[in-house]
Amino acid sequence: MSVAATHTSMVYDGDRAYAREAGGFLRDGLAQGHRALVMAPPSRMELIARALGVDADAVDFVDEAVAYEPQWNAYRVVLDHLAAAPGVRTVVVAEQQLARRAPAELVDYRRLESAANLVFAGRAVDLLCPYDARALPAGLLDIALRSHADLRAGGSVAPNADFRDPLDELADLAGVVPPPTDATTLDCSSHADVSLVRRALRARGERGGLDPQVVADLELAASEVLTNALVHGSPPVLVRLYEEADMWVCHVQDGGGLPVDPLAGVVPPDDPSDHGYGLWLARQLVAAVDVGSDTTGTHVRLHVRSPAPV
Amino acid sequence: MILGSHRASADLCSLVPGTHLCALDHDVAVLDRVAATFVGQGLAAGDQLLYVASEEQADGLLGTLSQHLDARQALASGQLLTSSFGDAYGTSPPEDLGTVADGFRLAARQAQKRGFPRLRVAARMDQLAGLLGSSDAVVAWERMSTGLQREIQVSSVCLYDTDRLEVGVGAALARAHDGLAPDVDVAPIGSFLAVDEPWGVQVRGEVDVSNRHLLHRLVLSRAAVLPRVRLDLDGVTFADAGTIARLRSIAAALPDGGHLVLERAPAVVRRVLELTGLGHPKLVVES
Repeated sequence: MSVAATHTSMVYDGDRAYAREAGGFLRDGLAQGHRALVMAPPSRMELIARALGVDADAVDFVDEAVAYEPQWNAYRVVLDHLAAAPGVRTVVVAEQQLARRAPAELVDYRRLESAANLVFAGRAVDLLCPYDARALPAGLLDIALRSHADLRAGGSVAPNADFRDPLDELADLAGVVPPPTDATTLDCSSHADVSLVRRALRARGERGGLDPQVVADLELAASEVLTNALVHGSPPVLVRLYEEADMWVCHVQDGGGLPVDPLAGVVPPDDPSDHGYGLWLARQLVAAVDVGSDTTGTHVRLHVRSPAPV
Repeated sequence: MILGSHRASADLCSLVPGTHLCALDHDVAVLDRVAATFVGQGLAAGDQLLYVASEEQADGLLGTLSQHLDARQALASGQLLTSSFGDAYGTSPPEDLGTVADGFRLAARQAQKRGFPRLRVAARMDQLAGLLGSSDAVVAWERMSTGLQREIQVSSVCLYDTDRLEVGVGAALARAHDGLAPDVDVAPIGSFLAVDEPWGVQVRGEVDVSNRHLLHRLVLSRAAVLPRVRLDLDGVTFADAGTIARLRSIAAALPDGGHLVLERAPAVVRRVLELTGLGHPKLVVES
């Protein structure tokens, strides 16, 4: 049995096709003594439960509202599942409803799918990512095609000719988006300024009617990213606050330093450590995180959803 | 104030230990304010503070301090000490300045034995000329103090009423110090007060990259005396992952039987613990 992970996508156009492919994938895994995990919308979990019958008892189900909230939590759900039974292979069905995601979240999901090829490479896991052809705009099906080495259809798996090197894909998704010129700008070049940025976020959140818990999480995420910029980056450290496509953006820019590892903070530090939690924690706290660098420095953009209009 | 200092520090919380500051003013209200700022920020940073002043001046300082922090608590735990000039410096001219220096060395060691990172001293110095016999002797003493304080890592502010100094001595005194102490009290974002019963630290406000090293060294100092430390976090409004990670490191390094209890941990602390998984058997979270 090979140790290498597999990452396969499956485009389906109806419930029967879904149940057949996802069910078959899980049944094969269970028959080989693997463990099974399903992260999916409730309707999909139901289809799988029905398709597997009594075998469904052996499957761990996690609702998408937990597994993908925020999206990067999905890695943690899989890693925790693997850690619970070291040495046992796990088969995973991973799907969320992409139609309800904001553009910034979809960019992040694209990163999540590409990075999965690297993060899980050496782990005993087979990942199957179903994509609903009925509900997805064509652009989103690209994610299925570009970020999976294999495609599953009609009960068999074939290499995917459209698969792109994850590092190339991640590099393409790491472009710097310059802040709008009318953004609120805060200079955060000293350690004492981090507290002032939190205060500004709090005031802005209150004015804008954001959920206080969302604001508290954004304050924590911004503090972590700013701390990274102050400790590892170079001055000046600037914070811009603005709205973009229904999202609130807290944009942290520093003068740059070492190139940012495309996998920085997509998984937690291996061992408890005094540092290394910043970006990873940010991804657990806000809706989407963009990281990019160019000659203007390192840019981290934290996105939270704007409150729905009343 | 007399200008001519070369290292005035506006941030007393992160004062380099052993910094020798002074304040020179003819307005005692300004001196009172400088003293309250220096003592208040030093206490919030977790250091032990000795205020050398008259009873009346000490009472005034307590009143001012109480606006920002629990001054009674600081007195009760021995984090804040007050002393008359005579008790601190002697009432008869010392035969040797070294004797006075030895007294400060002892006080600095005592501070650490009682679970404080460092000692800081604020002193009304108006009686020093009388004690030492001349203004020149005062300047000489202050010059020696700069070296002594660096050696024993005790920071201080020497408060001089310029109306009681001989003309021209002020400038010489300013030069004998590392800088001038600020008289504008910017309340620190967080405060770390020692608590004796139960043994530990009362944490208030925000803890982040700007001040977590102060909490870290106070908890280490407490743990060095007694490795069963309780942190009362009830008044904490923010703490970042680095803060929690460092507390976990302290807990993990405690000897057998030791523990670090996080009491009344607020939501933000629980959130960081939950998301980072930074637990340890010796790091006990209590509601």
